[in-house]
Amino acid sequence: MILHTASEGITFSRKLENDSAEFYENLAQQSAEDAEIWLSFARENKKNIVQVERAYYGVITDAIEGCFAFNIDPDEYSLKTAIKEGTGYADFLKQAVEIEKTIIQFYTDAAEQSRSLMADVPRVFTLVVRKRASRLEKLDSLLKR
Amino acid sequence: MALLEEPIKEVRTLKNYIDGEWVESKGEIIDVVNPATYQTIAKVPISTGEEMDAAVEAAKAAFPDWRRTTPVARARYLYRLKELLEENFEEVSRIQTQEHGKTIDESRGETRRGIENVEVACGIPTLMQGYYSEDIAHGIDEFVIPTPLGVFGIIGPFNFPFMIPLWSAPYAVATGNCVIVKPSSEVPNSQTKLTELAEEAGFPPGVWNMVHGGRSVVNSMLEHPDIVGITFVGSTPTGRDVIYKRCGETGKRVIAQCGAKNFMTIMPDCDVDRTVIAMMTSFFGNAGQRCLSAANAVIVGEDDAFYKNFVDRVIEQIKSIRVGYGLDESVQMGPVRDKEKKDRIIQYIESGIKQGAKLRLDGRENIKIVGDYPETCFLGPTVFEDVKPDMKIGSEEIFGPVMSIMRVKDLDEAIEISNDNAFGNGNSIFTSSGKSAREFQYNIDSGNVGINIGIVAPMAFFPFSGMKDSFYGVLHTQGREAVRFFTESKVVIQRWF
Repeated sequence: MILHTASEGITFSRKLENDSAEFYENLAQQSAEDAEIWLSFARENKKNIVQVERAYYGVITDAIEGCFAFNIDPDEYSLKTAIKEGTGYADFLKQAVEIEKTIIQFYTDAAEQSRSLMADVPRVFTLVVRKRASRLEKLDSLLKR
Repeated sequence: MALLEEPIKEVRTLKNYIDGEWVESKGEIIDVVNPATYQTIAKVPISTGEEMDAAVEAAKAAFPDWRRTTPVARARYLYRLKELLEENFEEVSRIQTQEHGKTIDESRGETRRGIENVEVACGIPTLMQGYYSEDIAHGIDEFVIPTPLGVFGIIGPFNFPFMIPLWSAPYAVATGNCVIVKPSSEVPNSQTKLTELAEEAGFPPGVWNMVHGGRSVVNSMLEHPDIVGITFVGSTPTGRDVIYKRCGETGKRVIAQCGAKNFMTIMPDCDVDRTVIAMMTSFFGNAGQRCLSAANAVIVGEDDAFYKNFVDRVIEQIKSIRVGYGLDESVQMGPVRDKEKKDRIIQYIESGIKQGAKLRLDGRENIKIVGDYPETCFLGPTVFEDVKPDMKIGSEEIFGPVMSIMRVKDLDEAIEISNDNAFGNGNSIFTSSGKSAREFQYNIDSGNVGINIGIVAPMAFFPFSGMKDSFYGVLHTQGREAVRFFTESKVVIQRWF
């Protein structure tokens, strides 16, 4: 089902952050060496939720078209977050890369669609994109290790 | 999409808040019904005149000390209230949806707009400063001191149960007055919650009171000699013929913000995509139950192709509106507040058909409600074409999700038919031409004017304006005008020998 309302869009971003945080928390249990990296990702996800919600709650008024804010198909941003037994560590890293790319795509699209909302909302989405882009660099360096 | 959790879980009988105490009313008790589920969610008293008198006595007794409390200290109570409102933002918003029916995005927007008024009133130490002239004559100085007046009554409507009393109350108490809020008995839970938070913020007993009720409570307010002024938001007949008239007779200050019939002028050079989306919010937001909702879409020009394509786009978009319970996040339009209001809207639809308008979309039939809810208070969006300004649906306030489309040859005619209407609340134009926008802004008789804005709701630091039959009074609620309304100018001329 397509997501149209601002509330739906924000709830969906929270879901993506929570689901990926859970993935990283599970991944931390698989790798003692890199556990702190994964836990820091999970913590950052929680901060993202707070920032996005703060932006939304700060601007949601009748000055914006809150019930017609987005045109998002959640199926285009489904995440594979299950940790399968027997999967190699490099494959987990690749899985993380896919998760980050998908979430980046969501926030990029959401930022584009929410340009007619007040500046706060697209700006916070763009900030999350920037943070996640640096994660991709980190993941890339881990893959090359 | 799952339903958000309802904040009101059990039916309780609401109490009045008088002199810092929650007091049971001796008046008749009536049910408060959730319009989406049609379940009773609270019971509210129709308080007696004596109970209103008790509130006035408490407010009057609290006034001298509250007035002497410094503006800086009074502002601190409001800062605490603001923090409590932020902490309770989601609960306050969901209560609005549960008792009124609006969507959760709309309720959160209402909460934010209400809080913004508290924020503006926090600036009272500078907002209520007077001014001073030295040496108006030899050795003589003159200055003005804005002083509070006493006890004010604040009468809220059903359509914005949380926000609208906040257009007045924060400014009234910030300037040193005491208030009695009377919420609509149809939606009393939002103000009850707000009053609980005001209590938690620590306002001294008697400064912020709330009395539930109906007409008899309003009459008691109007007749009471110790109430110095009233702010009212509601229908034009009540605002004009009861509130404004009686306040004049009893010497009270008054702000009476009343009904509307808003015209949205659409020029052929508008940004079609953005205009269509703005129309959805403007015509169907809050299920059309707002005094700033557009009611008439006036499409300008003789270009038949533009007209046809534009209207087809509008209809296509309207058909996609999801109607249902506002606590479902996917819902874009909730029910109307109650069955009587729905019946009244249906009567207007029937009159439109009878008077020859072309019914393009019928909101009475085949209402697709998201979820399993009774149809009792639900209506789909309705669209009429070929509406004339003298038809009932083209001239009277429907207060529901009905769009009346009119065609005019040019901008002058659009302005003319808008100005011929009795109301003047929130008219708007959609255009990419600065010249057209300026001409519209200059000539339109409307208290709030939108240029490519569908809901012309002024921010808290601007007055919520209105003209003609939409407003009775001089000063408006919100911002500096509210500060002016709630204070009297005491002019001092002094000389020292």
